[in-house]
Order: sequence, then structure tokens, then C-alpha cells
Amino acid sequence: MHKYFTVWTLILVSIFVILFLFVLYPMFSIFYASFLSPETGQSSLESYRKIFSLPFYLRCLRNSLWVSALATAISLIIGVPFAFFTSRFHLPGKSLIKTLATLPLILPTFIGAEAWILLLGRNGWFTNLFKQIGIGLPSIYGWQGIVLVFSLHFFPFVFLMVSASINAIDKSLEESAQNLGAHPRQVFTTVTLPIVTPSIVAGALVVFYMSIENFGVPQLIGEDYRVLAVQAYNEFISEMGGNPSMAGALSMVLIIITLLVTLIQKYWVERKSYSMSSLRPPEVRKAKPFFTFCMWFFCIFILFLALFPFLVVLISSVTKTQGPVMYFGEFSLKNLTQAIRIAPRPIFNSFFLSTVATLIGIVFGLAVSYLVVRKKGAVTYLLDLLMILPLIIAGTVLGIALAATYNKGRIVLTGTWMILVLAYFIRKVPFSIKTTSSILQQIDASVEEASINLGVPPVRSFLKVVVPVMLPGIAAGAIIMWVTTLAELSSTIILYYGPWSTMTIQIFQYVGSGDFGPASAYGTILILSVLIPLFFLHRFLGKGMTPTL
Amino acid sequence: MQVRLNDITKAFGSLKALDRVSLQIERGEFFTLLGPSGCGKTTLLRVIAGFASPDSGNVFFGDQLINHIPPYKRETGMVFQNYALFPQLNVFDNVAYGLRARRVEREKIRSRVHQILEKVQLENLAQRYPNQLSGGQQQRVALARALVIEPRVLLMDEPLSNLDARLRVTMRQEIRKIQKDLGITTIYVTHDQEEAMAISDRIAIFNLGHIQQVGMPSDIYFRPQNRFVAEFTGTSNIMEVEVVAYDPHNSILTSRFKGHQILLRSASKPTGKTVMILLRPEWIKIARDEKESLTNLFSGQVVSSTFMGFMVKYQVKAFEDQMFALEVQDPQEHEIKKERETLYFQFNIDRPVVITS
Repeated sequence: MHKYFTVWTLILVSIFVILFLFVLYPMFSIFYASFLSPETGQSSLESYRKIFSLPFYLRCLRNSLWVSALATAISLIIGVPFAFFTSRFHLPGKSLIKTLATLPLILPTFIGAEAWILLLGRNGWFTNLFKQIGIGLPSIYGWQGIVLVFSLHFFPFVFLMVSASINAIDKSLEESAQNLGAHPRQVFTTVTLPIVTPSIVAGALVVFYMSIENFGVPQLIGEDYRVLAVQAYNEFISEMGGNPSMAGALSMVLIIITLLVTLIQKYWVERKSYSMSSLRPPEVRKAKPFFTFCMWFFCIFILFLALFPFLVVLISSVTKTQGPVMYFGEFSLKNLTQAIRIAPRPIFNSFFLSTVATLIGIVFGLAVSYLVVRKKGAVTYLLDLLMILPLIIAGTVLGIALAATYNKGRIVLTGTWMILVLAYFIRKVPFSIKTTSSILQQIDASVEEASINLGVPPVRSFLKVVVPVMLPGIAAGAIIMWVTTLAELSSTIILYYGPWSTMTIQIFQYVGSGDFGPASAYGTILILSVLIPLFFLHRFLGKGMTPTL
Repeated sequence: MQVRLNDITKAFGSLKALDRVSLQIERGEFFTLLGPSGCGKTTLLRVIAGFASPDSGNVFFGDQLINHIPPYKRETGMVFQNYALFPQLNVFDNVAYGLRARRVEREKIRSRVHQILEKVQLENLAQRYPNQLSGGQQQRVALARALVIEPRVLLMDEPLSNLDARLRVTMRQEIRKIQKDLGITTIYVTHDQEEAMAISDRIAIFNLGHIQQVGMPSDIYFRPQNRFVAEFTGTSNIMEVEVVAYDPHNSILTSRFKGHQILLRSASKPTGKTVMILLRPEWIKIARDEKESLTNLFSGQVVSSTFMGFMVKYQVKAFEDQMFALEVQDPQEHEIKKERETLYFQFNIDRPVVITS
């Protein structure tokens, strides 16, 4: 064999070592721990027996499934019409509507939860307002609040996926159905809907998955309503020393659910999806003014519900506060100056950790996509399969696995900032792989071969002619990685320690103790840190952002 | 640079892309690998470039064994089917790429790039980017980029297949002219037999990983060795005839096909009872009414008649059920026959070629 292959072989081996050390081995150790009895240390199925027999754990499982299923259903009810209205009809301000509709995906969910508590919580703005006029609003705490926040955050997944598939239907397809004698309504049910169905299912699966793995929202707004992700966390860092066996077993249950969802997605939906070369995009129609208004109002109302809470957080950050009491209407910069001047460390930490994790993620993602796309073979296929793992491991579970594995032994990482970077990098690297590999597929391999043929060795050829072409995609992937890492809570909460607290931890703790002023200050900084890079991404790279998600 | 290939074998799984292929390409020669898709011709080109390593066999440039030299040190210039221009670099930088990799001085790069761009008639477009160029212009950039490094061998992988028919003809003449000017050894891959014949000094015909025949274009067209080569290089009327008698003095073979006698020239007496003979459509003439000679004169019924301006193509059913393709140049010489009309045709005894299956 040529020297030609050895460099990439070396890279391939390092990738496997990293995956083994920081994904496979930690997952295996909590898997192993879940089969040990917490009392005796002997192998036993006790933890699993408890989960499936004790009412408390059974309720956690049922709660998780219930809120996720309900959030999925509502996301479909919102997302599918949203996609049809904005793809098939002329609506005023449509491009702005479409852009705004992607925002909830990127804004941190637990800030959404905080905002709804600010509005409808025990001491909420609306709650108090309505109390004055004698109306008691239903409680936001518990499953209602969780489902509300999930639905408003995750419906854009359905919207984006369904829109993409509606717009990919060639106009002639519907025309030929009409030509064959189908009534427009029949065309919709026999042609349009069946083609769009796989993407509706795909959207539903993503929403279900995002809901069941979410930790921040149920922890903040759920109160006594326990779900799996929250309970795994509680078992792991319980005041009484924790129960790694139980935390492991709950993690396994969670993984099995997410694995199932991912497998359905990968092997059923992707096979069902129709790819077509759309030559003539579907027609965008002008509806009667009344219907146009109804559709427009629907979209605006949903966007208002989804985005208004973030406005509330922005307003709260410049409002005078005293503990849980907000003096709306009274301006004060106290919270913001305190966050920026007196306690800037969490801000620095968030930026630093995200940046390091993103840089590692770019390099790693580039190497993985290159190997999977260009060096097809049994080993790289295995690599492709292994890269599903970061997708199915919920943040809480990854946090537990890393913390439990690297708190003793030869490599001790628990209690360092490195372990946070590791967790972030593993959680978010799929973004980087997805963007880079999709561009790589579009670049013909002969471009690289041309460079090699002209006398430039393989790795240098890759860096000189392929990477420059991929830069916009790499940048888009990196920005998405960076902003979503900034908002990462579920693994951080398990892995951080004192000096390495992040903005997300600050927000989480201040909301927990009812200090909404400082919570909103950090929340505002976080929202702006997410929105500003996205604005530039959208501005300079056009639609580079949407396919990434 | 002479290129020698010895017993090259390369398999992809159970599929043998190349099976003990040996070739010798002479210095300055324009050599074409011709064959249908999947026949192994591109694989052979990639073996020469170093992008595929053979399972066994040796590749020599001159006397140097290059099996273990990586592709970036082989000093070959390759033109890819899709041109593979670097989209982020302009024409000048694309062409200069290989020179920069060789750390040629800046001034030299400038002059050599301009010289070669002039040669391919692109000197005005040096600052354009690939996406601002037409297909033919991209093709020229790819050629210039491969030539500017003064490669030992120029390798071209179906370089014209993405161009329209008219441009293909002009480009191939231009490529041939530049190749002759520079005297560079060139190995060219194509599936288009007309292109191969128009451009090459010699052609190797490939099928299923084997070389079927190597020779000058005229050899291959007039004297194909087997049925595959005959059919791949042009329209073929093939008949399996019975051997009746052989006259060694005049080298004339008398044969019989469905009760009709066919005479043909053959250098030796065939070994079997039957032989396969090939008749190209243009070797067959429409017989005049005078009927000067009765040798190899037959009649048939016109099944289809296609007027193409410079010629008429006929499909004729003769000898009960044998279909014949006929091409008649200068259509005004004869009355153009219509479907179902009877047509007399004749061919010279020197024309039919004996081929193996």
C-alpha cells in the first residue's frame, strides 16, 4: 500500500480512540453499573426491577412519554399548517415570518421555561394582573407548562422539514394529477399529502426525541412532575451520596427510547422519503383576503407565543427587582451591570468552553466526514454508525457517564474544565459532521485528485483545494455548534464545578431560588450571544443555517 | 516517455476490472483506450496515474518501475472527465497550481502560465473563475493546467464527454494539434469510437477487463480480429458462412450462405467448416441495372430507408431473413429506394473480412 493511505489511517485510528475513551467506554461503565446492586455491589437486576415495579419510577417513565407525545402532537398541529401556509400562499411579510419561525430552535428552552414562569408563575406578571380583576389562571407548573414550552420551541422542526418537502414537489406532479381528472382536494389527499408524510413523521420523531431528552424545562417548570432525565440527575447527585446503579438504569431506559426513535428515523423514514429533482417549483397562490388574513394571523399568533417570552426576559433584565418581586415599568441596569462587572466569570466560562469545544468539533467533524464520504469501506461504515451515538445519548446521560467514569482511576477529569469541553464537543459534533459531509458529497473527488496529480500530497491537497470550498459550510456548522453549546444545560449541570460555572448554570440556579432579576440578566446576555452570530450567519451565508438543523 | 504495462490485474471484489493487461505505449504517441463503460479503461488510466494500485503487475515509465511512487510524485498530467477545476481559484491560479507546488519562481510561473494559456487560446480569460467559463473553456483550462507542468505523460479521461457534439469535434482537433506540437506521450480514454479513430496514433480496444485488439485506427476498422471489435468500431453486417472450396493460388475462398455463393479473399485456408465474415455498410454498393458481373450480387427487400443528405441508410432484408445495413454515399447516383422495394447490391471480393467470434 502507498504512503498515501497511512496519514488518513492514523487519523482514523485517533478518531476511534477518542470515541472509545469518551463515548463507548463511559457508556459501557454506566451500563455495567446499572447491573450492580447499590447495597451489596453484587450483580443484580434490582434497579431495573425497581423502575418497572415501583409506582414512583413507573410514573417518571409514563410522565416522560406523556409530555413528549403531547408536545409532538401539538407541534404537528402547529407546524404542518404553518409549513403549508407559508409555502403555498402569498402572505404579507412571509420571509420575515419564515426567518423568525426558526429562532425558537436555537433559543435555549430553559429560558423559555423561565419566561413562562415570569408570566404565568405563582408571582407572574399575567397571574397578578388577572388576580387583580378576580380571575384565577390555571397553574403553569407541571405537565401543562412543560408541554407548552416544548411545543412552542420544537414546532419549527416540523415546519422546516415539511416546508422542505412541500417545496421539493415538482409542479408537474400535481398538474398531471389534475390532468388525469383529480379534483384539487383529491390532488391534495392523493398526491401532495402522501409525498409530504415521511417528512411529517420525521419532524414528529425529532420533536419527540428533543422532548424526552430535555432536562432544563421539566426541572424548572415541572416541579413535582418528574420525568426520566430529571430523575436520573437526581439519583446521580442525590445529597445522600447518589445511586449510580439507579442513575445508570434510568439512563439506559432513556437511551433505549432515544435509540428507537433514531432507528425509526434512520431506517424507516429515510427509506420512505422521496427524492426528486424538482425542476419547476410548486405554485405559490394568492388566497382570498379573508383566508389570507386567517393564515397570516395564525402564523403571527404562534410566533408571538413562541418569541414574546424572550422579550419578557429582555425586559426583565432591565427591570428593578427585589428577589422574586419584579417592578415592571421601573427601569434599572443593576442586574446587567452586576452580571457583567461583578460576576463576569460565568460569561467568560461559557464563551471559552464553547469556543474550545467548537474548534475541536470542526477539526473532528471535518476528519470524520472526509473519511465517511471519501474513504468508503467497512471501517468507515462502522465509524458512520458510531456517530449515531452522540445523537442518542441525552445530555444528562452523557454527563452522568463521563462524571462516573473519569472521577477516579488513571485519567481523572471530573472537576476540570476539560470534561465540560469533552461533553460539549461530543454532544454537538453531529452538527459539524452533518454540514461538512453534505458539502463534501457535492464536491467531486476528482478535484482533490487533480491537485494530487499536480504534485501536492493528499492531506495538503485536502487542505488546499477542498477546505476552502467548504469554508462557508464549516462556518455555518461552527456557528450552530457554538450557539447551541452556549445554551447547553443538561450535561453542564452534572459536570461543572465551582469556578467553571456557566451562564446556563447561573440562570438555572437563580430561577431555582426565585431571583429572576439576575437570571434574566444572564438570560439576556445568552440570548444576544446566540442571536448576533445567527444574524451574521443569515446575512452573509444566506440560508446556510436552516439545512444545518 | 515510453509507458509499459506488464500483466496488470486489478479486481474490485469479485469483479475483475483489469485482467493481465500488457501494453507498450511509445514516446510521443497518442494512444487511446477505447471500450464501453465498465470495461476497465478508466481503471487502467488511474493505475497509470497512481490513484489505483494494481493487485499485480508492473507499470514502467521508460525503464523506471513506478508501482510504489505515490500519485503526486509521478509527474503525470491528468485531465478529468468533469475537468475538476478548483472553483475557488481563477484560471491563472488553476493553471499555476502545479507550478507553485513545485516551487517554481514567481516570474517563471507567470511566463509559463501565459505561454500555455496562449496555446489553448485563453490568454484573455486568465482572471475569470471556473463558474464564469463555458464547458469548452473549462476544458481548455484543464488541459493547460495538466500541460504546464510539462508532465512525462498526459492522461485524459473522457475529456470531451461533457461537451456538445459540434464542440467535441473542434476540441479533439485542437487537442491533437497541441499534442503533436509538444510531442507529448498521451493516453486518452474514451467510449466514442469515432473520436478514438479521429485522434489516435494507435488504439487499444477493451472489453470486460481484457484488451481485445491493439492497432492503428485503420487496422482496427478494416481488420477487426473479433466480433466485439467489429461491432464496437462501426456498423457491422456479420454472417456465418460455410466453407466450400479454397484456391491457394489466388487466395480466394468460395463459401455458401443460405444457398447463395459468396466469394472472398482470404490469406489462408480456414480450419473450420464455417467462418464468420464482416461487411461494413459502406463496402456494399447498390448494383447498377447493367449488372457487369454476377459475383457477390444479391437482392433484398428494403425495410427502412433513411435520407441523411450526404448519404442514404438502408435496412435490407436479404437471404430470407438476414438484415443488412447499407450506406449509399452520393444519393443522387441512384434512385432512392422506398420501403418494400427490391434492391440489388454487390460487394468486391476483397472486402469481406474473416473474424473470430
